Amino acid sequence: MKIHQKQKEEVQIFELVGELDFHTSPGLRDKLHEVIDRKIAKIVVNLKKVSYIDSSGLATFVEAFQKVKRYNGKLVLSELEPPVRSVFEIAKLDSVFLLAGSEEEAFRLLI
Amino acid sequence: MNKVTLELPARAEALPPFRTQLQTWLQTAGAPQKASSEILVAVQEALTNIVRHAYGGKEGKIDVCYEDQGDRIEIVLRDYGESFDPSKIPAPELPPVKPGGLGLYLIKTLMDQVEYQKNHEGNRLRLVKFKK
Repeated sequence: MKIHQKQKEEVQIFELVGELDFHTSPGLRDKLHEVIDRKIAKIVVNLKKVSYIDSSGLATFVEAFQKVKRYNGKLVLSELEPPVRSVFEIAKLDSVFLLAGSEEEAFRLLI
Repeated sequence: MNKVTLELPARAEALPPFRTQLQTWLQTAGAPQKASSEILVAVQEALTNIVRHAYGGKEGKIDVCYEDQGDRIEIVLRDYGESFDPSKIPAPELPPVKPGGLGLYLIKTLMDQVEYQKNHEGNRLRLVKFKK
């Protein structure tokens, strides 16, 4: 999995490429926690190029979401592909996370 | 090739290449895209459980067999670590309020049949998914 990180205005954006599983989730967790430890209030994770996610990937986002919420920040997941979105739906996490169809929508959800 | 048998080392890094191999085979077997994606997630979860719980990070092997049975795909995983009966694990709270605990739920939700057997040799997990 490749993790590209950039900042746009005050928003920290992660662009993920590849598969998010038991093997690759710890790397993403470390990157997210570097940002969360700095209490960055607006975070977007773009999943457009993620073709696969398992429960380890879901757990990484659940943990990050809870930590961001604790300091009143926002974490938005954007552009989920159907196989990835369906895993969120099965776990009923689509009702918990802020999910955006585009980067523009993700920025609107952060306001 | 209707039936494939292979042996995997019980290590996290062995799972992504196996997943690619299974995905290619599922396409050849004519599994629809959605069923194929669901099988990949369920099998990954089952293999992860074996690596994490049955072997607990220790060296071990997993015998894998997957077969095209016409209207369904059957996958059998055998390991020789600690027993881990999925039917004994309670369903998680949904949506989850803490990270983790979703693997078995995904397996049971995504597959049409899940059967676990334990014998003196080890654990056997049989997963079945109908193509339609």
